[in-house]
Amino acid sequence: MQHHATATGLGPATSLSGTATLRRQKQREYLRFIYPTIFLVGLFSFLPLVGMLALSLTDYHLINGWGGTWGLQNFARLVLDARFLNSIYVMLALSIGGVAVQLLVGTAIAVGLDQIVPRWKIARGFFTIPFAVPHVAVALVWLSLFTPTLSPINAALDAVGLPQPTWFSSQTGAISAIVIADTWANFPFVMLLILAALQGVPRDLKEAAAIDGASQLRTFFVITLPLLKPALLLVTLFRFIETLKHFPLIYVMTKGGPGRSTQATNYYAYVQSFENSNVSYGAAISVTLFIFAGFASFWVARINSRINS
Amino acid sequence: MKSSRTWKIAISVAVTAMLCQTGSAWAQEEEISVLMFSLPVTRGIAELTDQFEEETGIKVNVEVVGQNVFENQVMLAFTGRTGDLDVVHVPAIQLQRWVAAGWLTPMTDKVNGSDNAAGFFPSALTTYDVAGENYGLPMFVETGLMAYRTDLIDTPPATWEETKNTAAEVHSDATAGIVMRTSPGQGFNMFVLPMITRAYGGKFFADFPGDMSVVVDSPENLQGLDLYTAMLTESGPPGVSNINYPEAVALMQAGGAAMFIDGTSNVVPTLDPETSSVADKIGLAPVPEGPAGRSPAIAVHGLGIPASSSKADAAYRFIEWATSEDVQAQIAINESYPDFTRPAVGEHQDVADKYAAINPDLIQLRSASLSDTIPNYRPLIPQWPEIGAAIGDNVNSALNGIITNAEALKNAQAEVQEILDQ
Repeated sequence: MQHHATATGLGPATSLSGTATLRRQKQREYLRFIYPTIFLVGLFSFLPLVGMLALSLTDYHLINGWGGTWGLQNFARLVLDARFLNSIYVMLALSIGGVAVQLLVGTAIAVGLDQIVPRWKIARGFFTIPFAVPHVAVALVWLSLFTPTLSPINAALDAVGLPQPTWFSSQTGAISAIVIADTWANFPFVMLLILAALQGVPRDLKEAAAIDGASQLRTFFVITLPLLKPALLLVTLFRFIETLKHFPLIYVMTKGGPGRSTQATNYYAYVQSFENSNVSYGAAISVTLFIFAGFASFWVARINSRINS
Repeated sequence: MKSSRTWKIAISVAVTAMLCQTGSAWAQEEEISVLMFSLPVTRGIAELTDQFEEETGIKVNVEVVGQNVFENQVMLAFTGRTGDLDVVHVPAIQLQRWVAAGWLTPMTDKVNGSDNAAGFFPSALTTYDVAGENYGLPMFVETGLMAYRTDLIDTPPATWEETKNTAAEVHSDATAGIVMRTSPGQGFNMFVLPMITRAYGGKFFADFPGDMSVVVDSPENLQGLDLYTAMLTESGPPGVSNINYPEAVALMQAGGAAMFIDGTSNVVPTLDPETSSVADKIGLAPVPEGPAGRSPAIAVHGLGIPASSSKADAAYRFIEWATSEDVQAQIAINESYPDFTRPAVGEHQDVADKYAAINPDLIQLRSASLSDTIPNYRPLIPQWPEIGAAIGDNVNSALNGIITNAEALKNAQAEVQEILDQ
């Protein structure tokens, strides 16, 4: 920009104001290019959101229609709804459990792959395959693996005389089953981001540590891990937000059972909206979940900008 | 220049003529869309649709999908009033709800103006009457039956108490004493559980439909639930808490259970030598009874016309054809379909021979069981799907030991009351 202003041959004060004008002109020009996108995002994201918010303030029921009431009654009902409070507990258990296991598995595999690259680059592709499988297919595969009467795992345990686990008979078992399926489907995301971050760890630091006689384990914990902190933080938050939206795995694997012990908040919103026809109450649950996810996203953006600055 | 203009005119005329011709062809060929969920009868209808197209010249787009997909798809079509469905599968259990929401077109005039309605089982046809209007013709009516292993059980148990004891006696690591649906849901565990609770005198309401006081937590219901949970936890297969009918049928066919109590459409496939490794060792018996008698399950499915359809006449012609005696008889031969809705179908010699060869008692047991059913086995009210889901969730929690049976019924009582108060 400075170069452009100087080329006009104007004095310093004039050139500064000219630069600002030009910048504004450029910004206006750029905006014209992104107006269609802003319009489409507004149309397909913002409007449905406003619609959902408006719906959550009514008493609209699919069968009974709208009783003419507006207000916060659905949100007041949420506070006293034991099923909603249970759904938050389930959601957090699935999110925290899932993200923790995915971080461990994803990071371990990334570190392993970093050691053997570039000789085994193909291994990266191999480990990313689960990420490409649709969640419904993932759920069906794991459902058959965890169903005692169909499971080859149970058949093998039975063959050697060991007790057969019944995953879907308890809350802990069913949540663990969903966490395992979720980990299988999503650890590649963690692995790829950590692998990319590992490429940025200076080799000379590791070499210096090796020369000083540090073991590989110590080098990892003292040098590599602290340098991976920003990437680990980001990937944790991204996965956390994603896991708040659990649905297909629950729908296919447990239908929210046993009883209601795997009805996470997103699934509960579906139950209220489409099984119970309480669409306005379902919308209130979705709005609450959206606000929660919004705060988490804001947190991600803040941390991201801090890391980048 | 002149030549160019002549060409342009000629091309325009040709294109216009083609469009007109295509337009008239479109106008002549009527087209309807049909959505059903997978049952032997719906698969049978889809197979025979060519016959209807040949007879009437009406093109039919039939889609047969899984039950869950169906429910989502139909909900979208109804609430969005998309008009893209002309004939829809109407489970009787959803009928009241769909009519209350204004999603179905009354067919009373069409049914009254046709001879076709005469030959149905009367109870199956009247199931589709709501407030004096008809909203569908029945294509499937199933009732509860017991399949048992003749190599393990000499005489089938007659009461639920005996069933529990027999299941415990024959239960082993290789063969579960009994398998029944346990997955939560109004069409899953709540399809089978009332067979037990009603046999003990349990009800959902004090005196349906006159006195709608909720009596879900009654001692009779608790007695029935105690038997259900004790019998299945002691003598059910591993992972008994999350079993739905496909898993139960597969287990019985593989020889993994000694008794299976369910609807006829699921019990009959255990007698099929092509899919069942124990087909020659399966006997049939009526559903057990309790102190208050016998109460076999009943499920009726039919076809109706969505309110958003603009092709009601063509849609009704299809419904009339699909539920006709001839089509039902063909399906009874082609598929495992003893659940026809016209008694005359059972009198077709080839149909009678087919089912007598599968099991000589099948047709007679089915008829006797149907006569024991009550129309409101699951109460036919708009709120039933929600009520059934609420009770089903609590019952499944009790079966898994998360709460006690008494707590499950107490919770269900409060939730059902809340649903009715809304």
